[in-house]
Amino acid sequence: MMETIGIWVAAFLTLSMFSFLYKDNPFYKFAEHLFVGASMGYFIPYTFFNVFIPYAYNPLFLRHNYWLIIPFVIGLGYWFRFSNNLGWLSRYPIAFSMGIVGMGVPMSIHAQILVQMRTMMLPLTNINLILIFIGTVSILLYFFFSKAHEGIYGKFTSVGIWFMMVGFGASFGYTVMARLSLLIGRLQFLLGDWLGLIK
Amino acid sequence: MNFSDYIQKIDRRYIFIILAIAVILPLLFPLGLPTFTTPPVLSLYKHIDEAAGTDDRAVFMDFAQSPSTLPELYPMDLAILRHCFLRDIKVLTISYYPQGAAIMQMAISEVKEDFPDVKQDVDYCNFGFRNFALRVPITLGMGDNIAEAVETNAAGRRLENLPIMEKLKNYDNIQVCMEISGAAPGIIYINYARARYGVDVAIGVTAVSAADNYPYLQTGQLVGLLGGLKGAAEYEELVETFANNDIPYSEKKAQNLSWRNQQYELSKVPYKFKQARIGMDAQAVAHVLIIIFIIIGNIGYFIEKRQDKNKYVK
Amino acid sequence: MKRTIPLLIVMILGMMFVVHTFVPHKISQDFYNWYQTWLKVMVSFAVILGVGSLLMVHTNKIKRKAPAWGYSWLTILALVGTSAAGFIWGIEDGTPYMWIFENVNAPLGATMFSLLAFYMASAAYKAFRARSMEATLLLIAAIIVMLGRVSIGNAITEWIPDITQWILNVPNLAAKRAIKLGVGLGMTATSLKIILGIERTYLGGGKQ
Repeated sequence: MMETIGIWVAAFLTLSMFSFLYKDNPFYKFAEHLFVGASMGYFIPYTFFNVFIPYAYNPLFLRHNYWLIIPFVIGLGYWFRFSNNLGWLSRYPIAFSMGIVGMGVPMSIHAQILVQMRTMMLPLTNINLILIFIGTVSILLYFFFSKAHEGIYGKFTSVGIWFMMVGFGASFGYTVMARLSLLIGRLQFLLGDWLGLIK
Repeated sequence: MNFSDYIQKIDRRYIFIILAIAVILPLLFPLGLPTFTTPPVLSLYKHIDEAAGTDDRAVFMDFAQSPSTLPELYPMDLAILRHCFLRDIKVLTISYYPQGAAIMQMAISEVKEDFPDVKQDVDYCNFGFRNFALRVPITLGMGDNIAEAVETNAAGRRLENLPIMEKLKNYDNIQVCMEISGAAPGIIYINYARARYGVDVAIGVTAVSAADNYPYLQTGQLVGLLGGLKGAAEYEELVETFANNDIPYSEKKAQNLSWRNQQYELSKVPYKFKQARIGMDAQAVAHVLIIIFIIIGNIGYFIEKRQDKNKYVK
Repeated sequence: MKRTIPLLIVMILGMMFVVHTFVPHKISQDFYNWYQTWLKVMVSFAVILGVGSLLMVHTNKIKRKAPAWGYSWLTILALVGTSAAGFIWGIEDGTPYMWIFENVNAPLGATMFSLLAFYMASAAYKAFRARSMEATLLLIAAIIVMLGRVSIGNAITEWIPDITQWILNVPNLAAKRAIKLGVGLGMTATSLKIILGIERTYLGGGKQ
């Protein structure tokens, strides 16, 4: 019974959202505002039961690890973010969370830069690898705006533009696929789960 | 109004209706178009399948999803879980997004309906939700000791007390870290887990980000990639063909469409395990429609451009 | 003081983490364990940021009786109702809280993004013009990839899927690699700027 009611509620809300395609209307506004409130309301109990209780409450109050009162108090600083006078207290937990950025420096240099560069400069044994090398270098040079893109340099960077256009074309093709997949998913729900027309 | 004006100024609501019809009809009347497999998906299937029957190797799945990515990523979730349960591969799941955790629970429950012998904390373990800020610490901590980094499962039980974790200590016991994500997929696992501990990483992504991850495939930082609904359809196909029939994986057979078609009947497959393949029929028609729109739009544009040029010349 | 100490915290922790990456000694591991434990306690309070911001925006709209202020009541009621359902009946499968997620959040979230498909079709018709050689190249690559990713491409000719795979493995890879190198350098530079206190926007504004 609840499942049937749920499917009808979901179908009503789905059609309310789709009604925006005709024009803005109260049904769409209703669905939009409901979505915003329900999404945010969803986070609160989940965070309370899955993060606050096991990581803050239990260690401090049940396992009596009293040193944790310090991060507990620092964490409460988040609650002052919206205060004009005491907003500066929120900077402490934020600063503590940002500290781990330091580990990202060597890790991202390795994974995003060094590994990529090493593979780009593999022995150029076939035409595809040569094309990848030329393409990557020409695009990197294209983004170097300190030198004017003139003469041979300009011609080489325009090769980079060609590679980028093909790359963006591929991304666009995939984006079309992604957007259509989302629509297909919703129509599968309406036709299958709600109306029972898809077997 | 001449022809080019007419086709340029058509009300966009007509375009919406045409698109809706183009998607609805193939869903109601399936075309049964074949699914062609691609190397990134084949590689992932083979990699996961190598852990079949072992109790000291597991597939680790991170559900970084939200409802907006459900149509593309949910079929992937179901296909991978089904593969693991069919082939007796241990699964560990986690999510750093509350909505992802709910989707993770939905996926596990839905697949488990067909596997009454699969036991929680023995064959799979759901670590539940962890706050996003803990993503890097937990990812790094798992390299030393998974039970210490994650601490408890979704039900609050300590991991070291669970049967599944007896032989699963750290990344040495993880066959592949699979992140199924709608945004910035795999970056944390590539940057931290793979860079530091050398664990294999794979991703399932929405089609929007699929093209962006090919550099990682070439460098070997990713062992596999499922891209959008197509990737999900391919993986469903491989699971249906090999794992469901208990046939050992073979790349040659995987690329042989006529052999694959003989291994199952799509009409007999439960709907939940063929969602992506059914969706691909509608996808194909819609793609052709979009291409037609682009061509017609450009025809109108070039006609208008020539008319303006002729007007100027006159 | 109110900005200096947080900046010092970031600088010291940041540098310690850089060192930690390369030092396998037990002291380094103990430092990391200590940081993890403290971070886990602190982050549970961060949820207030999103909730507080949303409540502020909508209560202001209600106070000022801004246009469509009635819908702000709906947003607040939905927020309170969903949270209350979670606290009263729990968050497991089969509870009202999960019913709300499966039948309200999930369909609304999915449908909101599926509207993009229609706008993209409209844009394909009205805006995607081959105005230059580069734009033409982009559209041709897009059309080949769109056909290559579905079975119809193979039905037209077996070359299309192969060309699609080549486009993805060669020119697309080159373009994305170059962009990733740039992004990687940018991320590294931004991380260093944060550690050294040059980048301070994460601390928020304010007179203090």
